[in-house]
Amino acid sequence: MILETNALSYDYGSGEKIQFPDLKVAAGEKIALVGASGSGKSTFLNLLSGVLPIQAGSIRLLGQFYNDLSPIQLDKIRADHIGIIFQSLNLIPYLTGFENAVLGLGFSKIRRAKIDDVTFETASLGHQLGLMSDVLKKRPNKLSIGQQQRVAVIRALLGSPELILADEPTSALDPSATKEFMSELNSSVEASAQAIIVVSHNPEIIPWFDRVIRIGRE
Amino acid sequence: MVRPGDQDWAGIMVRLALASMRSRLIPVGLVVVALSASMALLLSFDRIQQATKSGFNQSLSGVDLVLGPRGSGLELVLYTVFHLGKPTNNITTATVSDIASDPMVEWSVPVALGDSHRGFRVISTTKAYFDRIKFAGDKPLVFAHGNAFSDLNEVVLGSDVAESLGYTLGTTIFVTHGSEMLGELHDDFSFNVAGILAPTGTPTDRAVLVSLEGYELIHLGWKNGSKAISLKGLDIDAIPRDRLYPKTVTAVYLGLKSKLGIFKFARKINDYSEEAISAVIPGVALAQLWSMIGTVDSAFKLLNWLIIGISIIGMVTMMMTGLDGRTREMTILRALGASPPKLACLVLVETLMISVIAIFSAVILVRVLTLGAADLLGEWAGIRIQLTWLAGNELVTLMIIVLAGLVASLIPAGMVYRRSLHKGFAD
Repeated sequence: MILETNALSYDYGSGEKIQFPDLKVAAGEKIALVGASGSGKSTFLNLLSGVLPIQAGSIRLLGQFYNDLSPIQLDKIRADHIGIIFQSLNLIPYLTGFENAVLGLGFSKIRRAKIDDVTFETASLGHQLGLMSDVLKKRPNKLSIGQQQRVAVIRALLGSPELILADEPTSALDPSATKEFMSELNSSVEASAQAIIVVSHNPEIIPWFDRVIRIGRE
Repeated sequence: MVRPGDQDWAGIMVRLALASMRSRLIPVGLVVVALSASMALLLSFDRIQQATKSGFNQSLSGVDLVLGPRGSGLELVLYTVFHLGKPTNNITTATVSDIASDPMVEWSVPVALGDSHRGFRVISTTKAYFDRIKFAGDKPLVFAHGNAFSDLNEVVLGSDVAESLGYTLGTTIFVTHGSEMLGELHDDFSFNVAGILAPTGTPTDRAVLVSLEGYELIHLGWKNGSKAISLKGLDIDAIPRDRLYPKTVTAVYLGLKSKLGIFKFARKINDYSEEAISAVIPGVALAQLWSMIGTVDSAFKLLNWLIIGISIIGMVTMMMTGLDGRTREMTILRALGASPPKLACLVLVETLMISVIAIFSAVILVRVLTLGAADLLGEWAGIRIQLTWLAGNELVTLMIIVLAGLVASLIPAGMVYRRSLHKGFAD
């Protein structure tokens, strides 16, 4: 198992408390998290990524318990082992697509060490995701939403982090683009045996996953 | 060469700060302009003030006392040494001889002022002027060409006069009565350039020096400021030399045998009963000048520091107002593993870069401003100031400003730190 959660819960402080299901994720496994709006899916991702501190329960990634780690160590874990894709606005506006794509490598020597030629690797991931090479030279405001999402995927995949966390990555895409995007994301993740956990409302993408986990508030 | 993706987080922060600043070129540019202009103002003011002080203080070395008519000591020094203002009264040469014969006096150099040549002041004096007057500590006056005047119709030029008017040895010049350019010309008697002094960086560079007798000669036949009788047709050689020794002079430079007696001798002169005269110690008169302008000087400096403070507040305000628009950027960087302290560093790096760019601009601006000021000061008081790029104390001042900027930037940096602590996926 690369990821295990146990009795994880989160108290928002206003009497609302969410108890999350226990999760065991193997390498290369694809999991969809579904739940109503406000059900705590994003909170769950924030806990898994180490951004939010654990209040109760435990998370173990690659054998390391988050509970034992300092915030700085959790940041390091995230930089080294987790790729993150947001719902939208994934890119820093004043950097080019390429600069955005390789940005994460600067925060992780481990991920950087896994790549011989960053330019080639970035271009080849872009190619897998259907991005023309000139797209990476452009700033985000010159890219379509789909292209921006693909650049974010390259950034999440570069350096082969063991776990990919994505929050509604297709919500800004139309149905045909969603299908194309999921197909490309799926093949890229499968090629590097990375586990992926995706939060989504979209039932159309459910078939792409090995497991579906439902999250809801108490 | 750094390959793509090879930079560590510090390199990334620098690159991000640069790219971010480039994307906000107008507000960042305005902050840089405000900061560099205020720094340049402070440094230029300080530099010009120091250079002026040093220039004034170095202009008259070796002179223990300036003797002149009773009145303002500062005024006497300003017009005799720096040719600023106009002489009002004269002192008699009989008094000068009496004072010069005092056992405490080692030497005396009388000067008579009032006339000019094409905007440059004429100083009539004795040959002792070239031996006794020093500059910049103990440097003697040196002739670049020729030598001191030895005849009535000979003139010695300061280096600026010769250079700006294109005069060489043997050039014939006429002197204008009074210090105004449009004054009446002493066109009945010409002077030949006998010597040109090497540059000194003092008012001497802008002086036209003639003998007391030559000066007296061209004023023969003048009454109430206008010419009554022309020298043309007069047999000048027939005029006895002692007849040409002036009855009055503007001032006298005095050197004493012992420096310890300066104050005592000055008091003695001030009590002189035969004529209303006074003796001024040049350094004391100048100290009086600096003290008079000291309050204005302090107020201006305070104002300057306030402007710098306001510029720093402007920079911090720009940072703070920009934070709302950069929330997403911070979230993305957090997702990539940047810790809150690293993100706070990003703000500090930006501040540092803005400060460094402002410093470079300020140094260039200071150079330009002091160049302009140097020309003005040269024109006004004949003082040449040394131009340097950046002095050690100026560097310290700039470092203090950078440090103040960094300390002030801890506010937006702290905001970034707090805001980014739990920034991640949004519910």
